[in-house]
Amino acid sequence: MGDPVRVQLLKQIGKADNVNVLRNLRDQVHEHMKGILQMSPVEQFNEQLNELHDTLICRSIILAEAEMARLGMGSPPVPYAYLLFGSGGRLEQTLSSDQDSGIVFEDSASDSEETTAYFQQLTSIIVSMLHQSGYPLCEGNVLSNNPEWCMSLTEWKVKLNGWFGEPSWEAVRYLLILADGRSVYGDHRLAFELRDQYFNNVIEYPNITRRMLDNTMRHKVLLGLFGHLLKEQYGSDAGSLDIKYGAYIPLVNAIRLLAVQAGIRETSTLSRIRTLALHDQLPSEEAAAYEQAFLLFLRLRLMTTEQNEDGLYANNGKLSSRSLSREMTEELKSALKTGKKLQRKVFKRTTGRLM
Amino acid sequence: MIKKMVLTLAALCLVFPAMAFADDPTAGTLNMGINSLWVMVAFVLVLLMQGGFILLETGSTRMKNAGHVAGKTIFTAGLAALIYWAVGYGFAFGADSSINGFIGFGDFLFDPSIISVDDGLPTTLFFLFQLAFAAVSLSIAWGGFAERAKLSSYFIFTIVFVGVIYPIVAHWIWGGGWLAKDGAQDFAGSTVVHLSGALAAFAATVLLKPRIGKFNKDGSANEISGHNQVFTALSVLLLWVGWFGFNAGSTLAIGDGFFGYVGFTTMLGAGAGAVAALLISWAVNGKADITTMLNGTLAGLVAITASCAFVEPWAAVVIGLVAGVLVFYSAKFFEKIKVDDPIYAMSVHGAAGIWGTLANGIFATDELAAKVGVGQGGLIDTGSWHQLGVQALSVLVCGVFVLAASFLVLFLIKVAIGFRVTEEQEIIGLDLSEHGAYGYPEQLKKGQGIQG
Repeated sequence: MGDPVRVQLLKQIGKADNVNVLRNLRDQVHEHMKGILQMSPVEQFNEQLNELHDTLICRSIILAEAEMARLGMGSPPVPYAYLLFGSGGRLEQTLSSDQDSGIVFEDSASDSEETTAYFQQLTSIIVSMLHQSGYPLCEGNVLSNNPEWCMSLTEWKVKLNGWFGEPSWEAVRYLLILADGRSVYGDHRLAFELRDQYFNNVIEYPNITRRMLDNTMRHKVLLGLFGHLLKEQYGSDAGSLDIKYGAYIPLVNAIRLLAVQAGIRETSTLSRIRTLALHDQLPSEEAAAYEQAFLLFLRLRLMTTEQNEDGLYANNGKLSSRSLSREMTEELKSALKTGKKLQRKVFKRTTGRLM
Repeated sequence: MIKKMVLTLAALCLVFPAMAFADDPTAGTLNMGINSLWVMVAFVLVLLMQGGFILLETGSTRMKNAGHVAGKTIFTAGLAALIYWAVGYGFAFGADSSINGFIGFGDFLFDPSIISVDDGLPTTLFFLFQLAFAAVSLSIAWGGFAERAKLSSYFIFTIVFVGVIYPIVAHWIWGGGWLAKDGAQDFAGSTVVHLSGALAAFAATVLLKPRIGKFNKDGSANEISGHNQVFTALSVLLLWVGWFGFNAGSTLAIGDGFFGYVGFTTMLGAGAGAVAALLISWAVNGKADITTMLNGTLAGLVAITASCAFVEPWAAVVIGLVAGVLVFYSAKFFEKIKVDDPIYAMSVHGAAGIWGTLANGIFATDELAAKVGVGQGGLIDTGSWHQLGVQALSVLVCGVFVLAASFLVLFLIKVAIGFRVTEEQEIIGLDLSEHGAYGYPEQLKKGQGIQG
């Protein structure tokens, strides 16, 4: 959209033929996007940034497939879909997001062990390529090369039923991760089938949203009793605001829960809000307020402190409160109030009680 | 055989009449006896507060200093007993020849009469009770020394503080000194004991400078958590219980049961401090902080110490509530100006001590002031600012004196022999550097702290 550098970068990524070129392009993406961050409207910026990330990830997968062929492993034995979870799944990656991924492949008629082995090796190459391109690994090991997140469709369905049937704390956490799952590359149909199963199970196990609520309300909004902002008290981030866990995540979690309850399959928070309004699950003026609050959180999140650790793009999700103007602080407070209101609404809708 | 029995019986008969017809104790003797017993009990309670300080200071600091922190409290209490006996008591309460109300003089190497004279409280008990107070004030001061002062500085400071600084303030307010004549109300020592201790701690911590790792280069603070919050909580309970000796014991008599009222207001102040501190930390920080709540309880106790005999129950609650909120903001304030106060001595004993003393000028009633026989009612009861003025003056004068004197002594120590241990010693921990053995030998291997 009128940004020749970005169009050029997209083209170059699509043509990159080894990981070093990808790494180089990733750095250019970072520099370029950082440069235009201040001048772009946040929604548009977010879309463009995620398109670049998606393209980079897809290119890595293509290169990994080629590498497998070079190693004599042939081409993929069955169709598969490469899934992104977390911020990638929600199309909300920042300049420095980590990898959260999985893979679902079609059930193989012949040798399933060989198939599994192929994807194990493929995903290892993908994860390591992305790592070399500056994407840190997920600390919770939600990665496509983890056998737990690299399965055939049937295996996935069995696992899903197990999680729904026995919603332990861990199982509910995985279900919430899966709710943001999106196919970025490959045969999207497999991902759709998996989501069909997911949403059928939500209807079959109505108590699951209650369990999800317990898990998602852990993160409190950064607002004190007197409507003041809660800042970090100690350490090198003293005085900072935990934008990620105190503003962004609470809103994402609450909207996700509403979407799951309503059977809405969108994964990005904005489209979830819009679809909820469209289906009369949210009054339109409320939806507009949530959307506005979310866009502010998204913008602030893009401003949070970056750390470049051993060539990996990382981010602690915290923002120095000094870097906020007075108007922005007031805007943030009112957005947080909106977030708190939403949390209360979700709590009431799910439990029938007041929070 | 029979002879022997007869002789024994006869001897017993000689004894018996003497027992049967001995005089009943006079009302005066009974009164003296029962008062003495109460003061003895109160002395024991106040001495036991040292146990509270041991747990408070140890729990609030790190494992590598635990043995040192705990042990030095016992040692300095022992040293304080000798110093107070030799000179301190003489400066506070000695003879009548006070020089212009400034200082007592006499009764050095105190040699009291073995029994009570004139049915009054035995001076031995008065001495013990006052000594226990001096030791409490001293232990408060150690809060500012924590985790980095040399053992020798504890030795020297005990001598000067218990020998001279504390006795002078005690004389001014309790020993018939000039502030006493002015009508300054400090029933059990919000100023004399707590503020004095806190200001000595302040002088120490300013001269010592913050512990390694407390503040970052950009001025932000790090949290150095104490190693045992259960110790800290238990210490507050011990101090709380001891405080009934501290406050109610300060009546020095059973009398008409007024000591019960003093205990009653003390309880209300403590409770209000605990509740207020927990709520304010929850409201402001979003988390109900245990350390703040414990500090609030102590702050409530410190604040009600001056006023426990002078105010009505509702006022005791208000005084405690204000103290609980005050201690929270005071701790934030000291951190902001980069004063490292590991045990929160300045906030708990200093800020709350000042508040408690001033509170008399606001909440004291004429009726209770007349009962105690010191000063008059405060602003609310009388509408007069007089008592508040007297209270403010006593806080100011005592504060300036203690701060200046402590600063001078500690500065001289710093210049002459050094006040702070070396960086290596601080990192290894004082258990090892000052005493050669860890308080928790199984948990810590020698030199392990160097990496940490």
